[in-house]
Amino acid sequence: MLVSWRYKYRNSPMDHIDPRARWIFSFAFLIAATSTWNWIFLLTYFIIALIWYRLGNTTWKETRSGWRLVLFMLFMMIVINTIITGGGAGGVVPPGGQLVWPNGFKLFGETVHFGLTIERIWFAFCQVLRILGISMNFILIPYTMDARSYGATFSSLGMPDKLAYTTELAIRFIPSLARNFSVTMDAQRARGFELDDIKGGIFNKIARMAPLIIPVTMNAILSSEDIADAMDLRGFGQGKRTWLYELRYHRWDYIVLGFSALLAIGGLVASYVFHMGDFIVPQFFYNLFA
Amino acid sequence: MEEKKKLWGFETKQVVYAAIGAALYAVLAIATNMLQLPGAGNVSFRPAVAIPMFFGVAFGPIVGFITGFVGNILADLLSGYGFWLWWDLGNGLLGLIPGLIYPTIESYRASKSIWRAEIFVVLGSLIGMGLASISEMWVSGADMNTVIFANFLPAFISDVINGLILVPLLMIAYAAIVERSGRD
Amino acid sequence: MVEADPLPLVVRDLSFQYRSRTEPAIVEISLELHPGEIMLLAGSSGCGKTTLLRCINGLIPHSYRGKLSGEILLYGQSNAGMKLAEISQKVGTLLQDPERQILGSYVLNEVCFGLENLGLPREEMIRRGEAALERLHILHLRDKETFGISGGEKQKVALAGVLAMQPKILLLDEPLASLDPASAHEALHLFRELADQGMAIMLVEHRVEDVLTIEPERIVYMEDGRICFHGDIQGLVQVVDYHRIKLPAQVVVERAKAEPQPNFEPAVPPLDTNNPLIEFQQVHFRYNDDAPEVLHNINLKIHAGEVIAILGHNGSGKTTLVKQALGLLKPTKGKVFLEGVETHTLTVAKAARTIGYVFQSPSQMLFAPTVKEELSFGPKNLGFDQETIARNVQWAIETVHLEDELLTPPLALSFGQQKRVSIAAVLSMRSRILMMDEPTAGQDYWNYQAFMDSILQMPGFDSIIFITHDLDLALIYANRIIVLNDGVIVADGKPVDVLQDRQKIKQWRLVATSLLELNFQMYPKTGKFLRAEALAQFMD
Repeated sequence: MLVSWRYKYRNSPMDHIDPRARWIFSFAFLIAATSTWNWIFLLTYFIIALIWYRLGNTTWKETRSGWRLVLFMLFMMIVINTIITGGGAGGVVPPGGQLVWPNGFKLFGETVHFGLTIERIWFAFCQVLRILGISMNFILIPYTMDARSYGATFSSLGMPDKLAYTTELAIRFIPSLARNFSVTMDAQRARGFELDDIKGGIFNKIARMAPLIIPVTMNAILSSEDIADAMDLRGFGQGKRTWLYELRYHRWDYIVLGFSALLAIGGLVASYVFHMGDFIVPQFFYNLFA
Repeated sequence: MEEKKKLWGFETKQVVYAAIGAALYAVLAIATNMLQLPGAGNVSFRPAVAIPMFFGVAFGPIVGFITGFVGNILADLLSGYGFWLWWDLGNGLLGLIPGLIYPTIESYRASKSIWRAEIFVVLGSLIGMGLASISEMWVSGADMNTVIFANFLPAFISDVINGLILVPLLMIAYAAIVERSGRD
Repeated sequence: MVEADPLPLVVRDLSFQYRSRTEPAIVEISLELHPGEIMLLAGSSGCGKTTLLRCINGLIPHSYRGKLSGEILLYGQSNAGMKLAEISQKVGTLLQDPERQILGSYVLNEVCFGLENLGLPREEMIRRGEAALERLHILHLRDKETFGISGGEKQKVALAGVLAMQPKILLLDEPLASLDPASAHEALHLFRELADQGMAIMLVEHRVEDVLTIEPERIVYMEDGRICFHGDIQGLVQVVDYHRIKLPAQVVVERAKAEPQPNFEPAVPPLDTNNPLIEFQQVHFRYNDDAPEVLHNINLKIHAGEVIAILGHNGSGKTTLVKQALGLLKPTKGKVFLEGVETHTLTVAKAARTIGYVFQSPSQMLFAPTVKEELSFGPKNLGFDQETIARNVQWAIETVHLEDELLTPPLALSFGQQKRVSIAAVLSMRSRILMMDEPTAGQDYWNYQAFMDSILQMPGFDSIIFITHDLDLALIYANRIIVLNDGVIVADGKPVDVLQDRQKIKQWRLVATSLLELNFQMYPKTGKFLRAEALAQFMD
């Protein structure tokens, strides 16, 4: 099994933005986008996210697996929320509203009364804007963030050293553990073990994972004594540490930071001070159904 | 061991367990995704959830939390799925809550310990997946019913079943090696 | 009167007992180490070597607790009051397995790990890190991922990480264990180079014969936590038990003359060249379309009655080759037949009825709560009935002499016992061929001969195949040697023919041993290759 990082340096604008500024921007975006259901705001955010996403220079081919998952989840949720349960969405969409088919419609000669309202369709549209906007921010990360940057970035953002270093060490051991898993898989197959040939119910199927999971896990635990020794022997955890990975704010990073603050604070103020964040359906949308 | 186990300690040893646990969770999550357990229906089964639960029980709540939290982040990053903070936190709780029983365990093969772990596995799945699902209401604007049927139940059922079966098996295996380390 | 500079390391009356143990691990150890010197610390596993190193580098008492007495002086200063970070700038430690010591994903990150912990500024870290890489002649690896480099390179990168802390004393804990012979010799010469630059080195190793090539200044031999010998090589060979550590063949022969030697015959049936058990026809292999080809045009027939050693350096394709036989990998071009059936049409589970494959590390496969269940796993997967399974398990456990451990969890056993369980777990499938990857890896010399003897004398196999880079293992046990170099079979035949040309052995990145030389000298008398002890009876 080969597990590899999707990051590669592509000299994109995103490659030149400090990782700290990037994390801050994405969280500011998350705050802003989740504070409103007003379609004008959501559409603006969506466009901002689109521009941000384009700065990464990723291709559809490399990101499509991530997008497939997001689109599937989005589809499931909208179908269930809009059509099946008739989404009240935590009181965002007021009850009642204007039915799309006030007199029902004919299906196989029967008249069907279906309670889909114009408001709910518009709300689904708003959901799509919001979720895609957030997704663009976060799907970008694995493809454009250097795996070496995580420890230094989190530490610099205020996470304790030991915790920040944990992510770095975890990244180091991923390929080793992936290889160990393959070896164990081969070793058990050599003893006649076949995963696709699993008989019995769901419980049996899960229990049959034991010959794969147990050796890999116990081996990992046994090796941690040596790893801890190696760390102690090189002075780990005995003082404030520095990081080899270089983080430096440039002029444009301050622009990103300023914009992030504006986005988050502006979004919150607009919604919670001026109450501009409420869900509204524009007149032109009603007109479409007239 | 004569010394009392510290519930919230985080020294070199815990850093290593947490890092190894997170890496292991990520690798096994990806591996078992690829293997696609047959016949599990549309529920995405992830036997790897037993890893944060077990690491919590074996090494304490902080190690359990990081194993689930960082492990889920890494699995998503490696699969190219992005970064989903509330699901990552939910996965962290899957490990943290069973980790609360860590100081009470004397023998990992005693049925008393195993029963206790099983109860906390259920609690952890309930709270962890509950929290992640509820945050979906706030983030995506889904309503309660949608969240329960589309998010919570599939995740909860899958995590509970996998945890209940695999955590005891891991505990019994661990009981055999626990005495082999001389480190404090 | 001029006072001499204090020595880098002085150990006085050192004893230690781990908290959870009832016996002390080391007892009253005293020794001293001079600058520019290499001290070889020899002994079999469990003799206390690792504990001694932990006392010197401070892991005891900082990370391991227990009863400690005596003192350790680093440049005249007791290490008892020092923090680990402080000790680490005086004493560098290279652990046995570089895989577990390397903490960075990239080479420069790994080398600078300790410097990050000391809180040094970035420019200083890069300067020191690059200097350490330069010193070991591996600056070209600077920006490589640590996962992808070879075993020998990993060892050097780990060492660079230690040197970047600028210690003056180096502790090396079995640094040759995971290296193939050519890389091991390279590493040894690097150690000598460092000593010549003034470093004081303590080298723990049971491959004594290899270490002697760099002429260590002092030799200490430990047994059961005590120093039994302290002096030079001539003294050592007189004192130690040659079964416990590996000495040059001439020495063993001299010593063994006085003792009666048992005769050794492997238990495989007589050679039958009519029906090949395994056949490779023009096999080529690559892992995927973009990857380079790793096996080139392999043609091979394996018959009943053969004991085959597949020799080659690390990365030569040995493991990839044997995986083809079992169908764990399928050839990209060409065909592999197992008892006449093409492996493309076989599942691995079916192939396992013919080939029992024992992986290198037992902990990669042991999972069951008891040895008994572990042994039934294979035959159950192969669909044997209850009665057959019970019979096979009984036979397998008796063959490896672990009857008393049937209900023990395999994970609780010692490494050697686990190794035997992993063999038994394959025996219980009653395959016709036994195939082993590096069967002696991780075992010290004391265990490794006894272990191989007992396997080769097990009944029930038509043929035995093992992968190794240890020339001695191949020449003692095999009646046929296949040498693989860069994915090509470069030699195949009787040991005496294959190993004739010492120049070629070097080209294959293997190392000719004293036992090989001695065997060639004696060949007119013996007519076959033998172990050193057995050669003794042919001496005048």
